[in-house]
This record gives sequence, structure tokens and C-alpha cells, in this order.
Amino acid sequence: MADTLIQTENLSISFGAHKAVNNVSISLEKGLFTTILGPNGAGKTTLFNLISGLLKPTEGKIYFKGTDITGLSPIERVKMGMGRSFQLTNVFSRLTTFENVRLSIQAHQEVGYKMFTDYRKFKSLNDKTHEILEEVLLKDKKDFLAGELSHGEQRKLELGMVLALQPEVLLLDEPTAGMSIEEVPTMIDILNKTKEKGTTIILIEHKMDMVKALSDKLIIIVNGAKLVEGDPEEVSQNPEVLKAYLGGGVLNEPTT
Amino acid sequence: MKLLKNIDKKTFIAIGVLLVVLSIVPHLAKLSTITLMSRIFILAVYAMSYDILRGYTGFINLGHALFFGSGAYIGGILFTKIDNTMGVFVLAVIITVIYCSLAAYIMGKIVLRGGGVIAAAMITLALGEIARNTAERWRSVTMGADGLPFKIPDIFRDRLGFYYYALIFLIIMTIILRQFILSPTGRVLMAIRENEQRATFLGYNTSKYKLIGLQVAGITSGLSGVMFGILNRFANTDLLSVQQTLNALLITLVGGTGTLYGAIVGSAFVNTVQNYLLDLRSVHPIFERWLLFFGAMYVVVVLFMPEGFVGLWNKYLKDRRTKKNSRVFEKGL
Ligand SMILES: Nc1ncnc2c1ncn2[C@@H]1O[C@H](COP(=O)(O)OP(=O)(O)OP(=O)(O)O)[C@@H](O)[C@H]1O
Ligand SMILES: [Mg+2]
Repeated sequence: MADTLIQTENLSISFGAHKAVNNVSISLEKGLFTTILGPNGAGKTTLFNLISGLLKPTEGKIYFKGTDITGLSPIERVKMGMGRSFQLTNVFSRLTTFENVRLSIQAHQEVGYKMFTDYRKFKSLNDKTHEILEEVLLKDKKDFLAGELSHGEQRKLELGMVLALQPEVLLLDEPTAGMSIEEVPTMIDILNKTKEKGTTIILIEHKMDMVKALSDKLIIIVNGAKLVEGDPEEVSQNPEVLKAYLGGGVLNEPTT
Repeated sequence: MKLLKNIDKKTFIAIGVLLVVLSIVPHLAKLSTITLMSRIFILAVYAMSYDILRGYTGFINLGHALFFGSGAYIGGILFTKIDNTMGVFVLAVIITVIYCSLAAYIMGKIVLRGGGVIAAAMITLALGEIARNTAERWRSVTMGADGLPFKIPDIFRDRLGFYYYALIFLIIMTIILRQFILSPTGRVLMAIRENEQRATFLGYNTSKYKLIGLQVAGITSGLSGVMFGILNRFANTDLLSVQQTLNALLITLVGGTGTLYGAIVGSAFVNTVQNYLLDLRSVHPIFERWLLFFGAMYVVVVLFMPEGFVGLWNKYLKDRRTKKNSRVFEKGL
């Protein structure tokens, strides 16, 4: 069994009376491509928000590489090697594509609070930025403002920005949300390459072809709680899943 | 010079010509024009300091005049209590730098703890008022509401000479601030303005960066205050007031926010208009109501040129060569 990278213990959060995440205990193993599945509003994004530190849980604990990180800020979690992307595109719209990625790399390489050296003089940052842009196929868009990119390109940029952080674990919240069908294979390709490099990826996704192509493990979340987890084949045969989730006819439908 | 490598040839020539013109003009101009221009230079630096905050960090500071007024008072008090010499001027500069970075640090620690832009605006407003009140009550040192007239070092007494010092001050501060904006730290400030949450998730300690931005802005504002005090040979509580902060806001709005140079253009425009209106006082007393025109100008700018003069200019350039221009904004210059 691989090492556990992230573990949650009875993790819960309530918004008023609504328990968006309810007593979730999962462990995410190093090197396993884990996909989190569940109907709309199941609490998947909220679970990511808890793991990445955007929200504080009402109950429960989160461990990352064996350390209790429940009380740590997002910044500290990023520094420990956790990177996340957002379901709704979240980039620096009025900066260029290049600068968006470059800023990620600058953060990762800890340039520090340099105040009077020209930012363009850091050659290693620029080179690395070019590499990432190539990886996410945005090389020829590098001088465009991020806000001027098409939706699909923005999703790629979003991914490039987390890849640039070279995280040990990558939390990806529907990286293909709103992307056209033709663009999906590219995304699968990028994710496969990232996985091969040894990055642990945790994915939230609705597109079943993508889930099947990539996942080593599935976790099904329904109504804020974990329903089942395990091998993709087994899980998708599980009668409970079929009843609670597939039965609803959601799983094979190409939702956004 | 290494610095100039980044500037393209056309800009370089344009700046060169501008500087030559600015060096000759005072020899041909009236004394009042020379004073007006010195005022434009100094207030341009003040407005640039405000732009660092609002334009680059997205942080609305309604107490920004606190630094400006303090600079003017520090100069005035030291010239009065010690002596009006160059040595004391240097001392005033040093104390202003220390005082403003400390004040900015404290302000930052209070304001940047969380809460939104509005909360920050309210708190800074209160802090500015506290400073103004303190200056008003501490009569033994500041002469309270009457204001503090003071003697200045001889070298600054000549209006023409001081014009050049003000111009040099503007040039030096522009170079420094431009370098700051083009530094890795400056880049992060722009990222924070665009999307603070995302900057956090890249691992940037955004409060620390904002604190640095506030300190740079505070020190710059303070230094422009020292110069402004010397220009007027006078400091009063108006220099610490919200009105003074709003002046910076108007100047950056007119010129173009987040452009640095916009502050220079804005300062030239706003001060010239203000001066012109004051001249019309004798025609009709309504022209004394600067605030009225201030408000009107604000509305016009917000409605018709939300990105200011520099924004208009960039747009014009963009229409001409659409592609190349997408970098103009991003460079922030
Ligand atoms: N900050 C918040 N405040 C209040 N309610 C919230 C908040 N965030 C999420 N919720 C609620 O929690 C529930 C779970 O939302 P979440 O976004 O986690 O679902 P999801 O599984 O990611 O759905 P989708 O597949 O549509 O992205 C929803 O009912 C949502 O309205
Ligand atoms: Mg979601």
C-alpha cells in the first residue's frame, strides 16, 4: 500500500443548517490518481476548499504528509506542496498569460521580497515559464491578456499556474468545466504526463470518459458524505452507487 | 545607463525632449508659473505614491494625507526648532522616511488584518483624522489651526533654483517607483490587485506584500510632503486632511490609475485647472469653491474617461497596433 499523502478525519462543515460536508474520512495515497465523483451540489468543491484551507472545518481534522494542517493557512499549505485549481476560472485577467505563469513560478522559486531588481532579469523564471506554457499548449498566446483568452485556454492557463508550483499533490476542480469536447483529449494528455512525473493528482470530474481514462481510484460523494471508495471498476458496479448516483442517470450524461 | 535599456527609442527621445523643454521653460516663464510647475512636480510624486496603493495594490487608503502632511510638518518643525540649514533638511528627510515607514507599518497592521476594502477605507479615514486632530491640538509645536510658517534652507529660497530641485525630485522618485513596480515584489502587488485569493493560493503572503506596498507609498508620500512644505514655507492641518487624500485620488483618476505616469499627467491637469479657477476668483466668487469643481471633475472623469488620460492614450495606441499593445497595461507603465 502506498503512503498516505492527505488524510481527513471526520471532516465536516456546515453553512447554517446545511451540512455541505458531513463526516468525511478519506485517505489519498501518494502516486494514486484519485477521482472524486458526485452529483451537483454534493460537496466536492467544498471538500477541496477544506483541504486547501480556503474554508475552516466546523469539525474534524486534515493531515498532509503526516502533519495536522487543520489550522494552517492556504499559504502554508501551498508551501508544503499542495496546489489547487479552481472550478470557476481564477486567473489574473489583466496580466498576460506569460505573467500569470511567471508569477506562479516566482512564488515557487521563492525569489523573496526583491524590490529593485527588474523582474525580467530572472532568466531561470522566464525559461521555466516558457516550459510550462509549452506543456499546456499556450505558447503562442503568451502575450495575450489572460482575460482575452478563450474559455478553454483559460482552463489550460489555470492548470499551468498550478503545475508551475510543482506541487506534490494537485487538487484539480473540474479542469475541463465548460471546455469543448474536442479540447478534452488534450487535457487528458497533459494530466497523464503530469501523473507520470510523479505528481499525485486528485481530480473532481463529471466527464466519465476522462475519469475512466485516468483514475486509479474513485471516491463517490453524495449529499456531503462519502458513499464508497475503491477501484474504479468495482465502484462503478457497486449497487449502492448505481442506486444513489447512477440510478439518477447522472453519471453517463456529459454534464458541464 | 542600464535602466534605460528597457525603454524603447521613441519614448527615450520623447522624454529627452520633454526634459529639455522643462529645463528651458522656467527661464521664460513668470514667477507664478514657475511656482505652479514646482507644485505640479511635487504633487505628481504625492499622487504616484497614492497610485502605488490604489492602482497597483487595489487598496483604498483615505488616510494617505497623513504621510504627506507629516512630511511637511517634520520639515517645518525641524527648521523652526533647530535651524534652517541643509543639514537639518537631510535630517528631516531621514526622520520622514523612518516616521512614515513606521506609521505605514502600524496602519498596515491595523488595516490589513482582514475585512474588506471598505473596512480598510473607513479605518484609514479614522487614522488620518486622528493625525489631523493631533496636529490641531498640539499647538506648542504645530501652532494648531493657524498653521506653521517656517524658514527654509537658503539653497531652496530661490524659486527658479527650487524649480529644478522639484523636477529632479520628480525624476528620481519616478525612476525609483518604476523600478519598484518592475520588481518581483511590484509584480506580486499587481497580482494581488487582480485577484488576491489566487495570489494566496500561489503561496504569496499577500498581507506582507501589501504592507510593503503601503510602506513604499507612505515614504514617498512623506517625502513629497517635505518638498511641498518647503515650496510653501508653510504647513497646516489641511495637508493632513481627507481633502488632501482626495486630491491624490482625483489626480490619479484624471491621469489614469495603475499607470504611475498618469499621476504626472493628472497633476499637471488638475493643478493647472485649479490655478486657473483661483485666478477667476476676481471675476466671480463662485470660482473660490474649488470643492465644487473638484466634484464636477470627478464625475466627468468617472463618466467619460474612467481610465484617465493615460488610459485614453493607451487605447489610442491599442487601436493602432492591437497586438503589441496588450503588454502596455501589463507592464503597468
Ligand atoms: N460558501 C458557501 N456558503 C453557503 N453554502 C455553500 C457555500 N459553498 C458551498 N455551499 C453549498 O454547499 C453545497 C455543496 O456545494 P459544492 O460547491 O461543494 O458542490 P459540488 O459538489 O462542487 O457541486 P458541482 O458539481 O456543481 O460543482 C451546495 O449546496 C452549495 O450551495
Ligand atoms: Mg464543484
